[in-house]
Amino acid sequence: MKSILLAATVAAAISSPLLAGDIHGKVACKGVRNSGDAVVYIDKIAGKTFPAPKDHAKIDQSNLLFVPHVVPVVTGTTVDFLNSDAVLHNVFSPDGCAEKFNLGTWPKGQSKSTTFKKECFVSLLCQVHPEMEGFVAVLPTPYFAVTAADGSYKISDVPDGTYQVKVWHPKLKAAAKSVTVAGTAAADFEISK
Amino acid sequence: MITNRRNRGFFLFALAVLSTLVVAAPASALPVFARKYQTSCQTCHTIFPKLNPFGQAFRLNGYRMPAETEEMIKEKPVSLGADAYAKMWPSAVFPSSLPSDAPFAMNMKLADLYASSHDESGRTIIHNDFQFPQEVNLFSAGTLGDNFSFLGEVTYGQLPDGGSEVEIEHAQINWDSPFGPTNAVHVKIGKFAPDYADGFQEMWLMTNNGIDTMFAYNPIGYRGGTGLGEDGTGISLPSLVQGIEVYGVLAHRFFYTVGMVNGMGPGPNDTFDGNSRKDLYARMDWKFGGMGLDGDTGGSELPPQNWRETSLRLGVFAYAGDGRGIDFEVQDDDGNTLSMQDRRYDRIGGYASAMLSDLNLIGGYVRGNDRLRLSDPETGEMLDETKRNYDAWYAQADYVIAPPFQCSVRYENLRPADKSADSLRLVNANFSWLVRANIKLMLEYNRDLRDAKNYQLATVLRFAY
Repeated sequence: MKSILLAATVAAAISSPLLAGDIHGKVACKGVRNSGDAVVYIDKIAGKTFPAPKDHAKIDQSNLLFVPHVVPVVTGTTVDFLNSDAVLHNVFSPDGCAEKFNLGTWPKGQSKSTTFKKECFVSLLCQVHPEMEGFVAVLPTPYFAVTAADGSYKISDVPDGTYQVKVWHPKLKAAAKSVTVAGTAAADFEISK
Repeated sequence: MITNRRNRGFFLFALAVLSTLVVAAPASALPVFARKYQTSCQTCHTIFPKLNPFGQAFRLNGYRMPAETEEMIKEKPVSLGADAYAKMWPSAVFPSSLPSDAPFAMNMKLADLYASSHDESGRTIIHNDFQFPQEVNLFSAGTLGDNFSFLGEVTYGQLPDGGSEVEIEHAQINWDSPFGPTNAVHVKIGKFAPDYADGFQEMWLMTNNGIDTMFAYNPIGYRGGTGLGEDGTGISLPSLVQGIEVYGVLAHRFFYTVGMVNGMGPGPNDTFDGNSRKDLYARMDWKFGGMGLDGDTGGSELPPQNWRETSLRLGVFAYAGDGRGIDFEVQDDDGNTLSMQDRRYDRIGGYASAMLSDLNLIGGYVRGNDRLRLSDPETGEMLDETKRNYDAWYAQADYVIAPPFQCSVRYENLRPADKSADSLRLVNANFSWLVRANIKLMLEYNRDLRDAKNYQLATVLRFAY
């Protein structure tokens, strides 16, 4: 009986116009090699808060790279940092909004975690390999996407409404625009240094 | 000993000509950047090594494109630290980068020289010589992160005995835009071509021969200088210096430079400078019309033929040298050896470059003042101290017949300080064929206008890669 009720609830939710929408488009990143790694997200929604997910986000340190290079999460998310390399890795951040954490250094196969409590664009660095750089975008809503190399993105499951949609990129100036979602909406951006 | 004034002048000229046969001359064409940006030499050069307006801006910008972005750089540099490390400084090393491919390039010059000159006894010597190679230059250049750039050049000059003479011509690092607006300040340290000679130093000319009357005059002589000295020994305007220079471009069109460098050398005990006092120089330019000196176009359209523009660049410069304590041997009219110091050598001059579509007219003037002290070499007793002055000027016309075919004519005039010596009047004519963007063939004629038997005809094949 419980299963039937749950299925009916999910079906109703899926058919509801409030959860059917998406925002898609392209971000043209000028002055960098490609248009990937831009984070497109819906800014704070008045009167709404979003609990941190129970599932942890994951960032791998593989072949001397942070993979993925840019990871968006909602505030309060815990991120696990795995070392997949045969060499030691470290993860730390120089950013005050991330409390300048330093997780130490650990070998292959092990991971360490930290929770991002404040909205912030966090730089991730490795003291062992100074050229390594990654980013965690700690955002106020769970409506976000990272652009592909061609700049395309899609934020799914966005309730109908009007939102302030923002774009952040590790090297370029941020941009924002108001977007009204009614089932689906398109929003293109161009950002530069 | 040379007693005949005319012969002495010819001898010095012949010496200068001969010295160009065996001593490597500065050259600059940097295929390093063709690789980095995956672009043609002609992006920056009208005909290498002569820079077009964009190339001049590229050089002055610290070997960076105007408003450069990552997209322009096809060779992804090697990161020496993530950008976020800048937030860590001084707890961590400031981030930087280096070129991903070894930033080296070669330039080779093969020359057939047909030269007529006089030997010490006044006899005419005609000689046809394959100088294959005449010189080979190994370049290294690039950028180190956002605020540093570098240039190195080692030149191998072929010697008649089969050996080679090696000289480090450039070994410089630039600190680019350390503060203030972009390109307002660059600090250059090392051995380099000083920017008071920007536009007329040999490495920026389309001709094979440099403007010797500006750089190779030797003011040391019993009654003042008589003419050109051996390559690299002139005390007029040093073409390469060791020191520190600050330069920049303001308001897109104003160029300035100031520098502090070693003067005459070498010094005692294996030192580079002849004394501890440093020479100072400065230059200021304004460019009217055409592309800005930093590459700015002000939003206006420029001709698609990137060697063309209508512009006028005017500059003034000054050099103050201190040669106290540096002794040279001179001989008086009776053949007695005396000691001479050029205690103060000051130079002032001007430079102009007018670009009128395919025609580029350039000219320069320098007036030199030398305070020469004559003394007894054994007792050190001062015998005489006089001020001497000399004047040198040149005018040159470069013309682009068509991009592969270009020509140049230059007239040079030098009035030496020794009034009893004749002035030098030289003409230099060049026809160049840019066989490929990085291969050129030059036919160049250089002659002393006072002596039909004192000339040089050079056929030069030069290529860079």
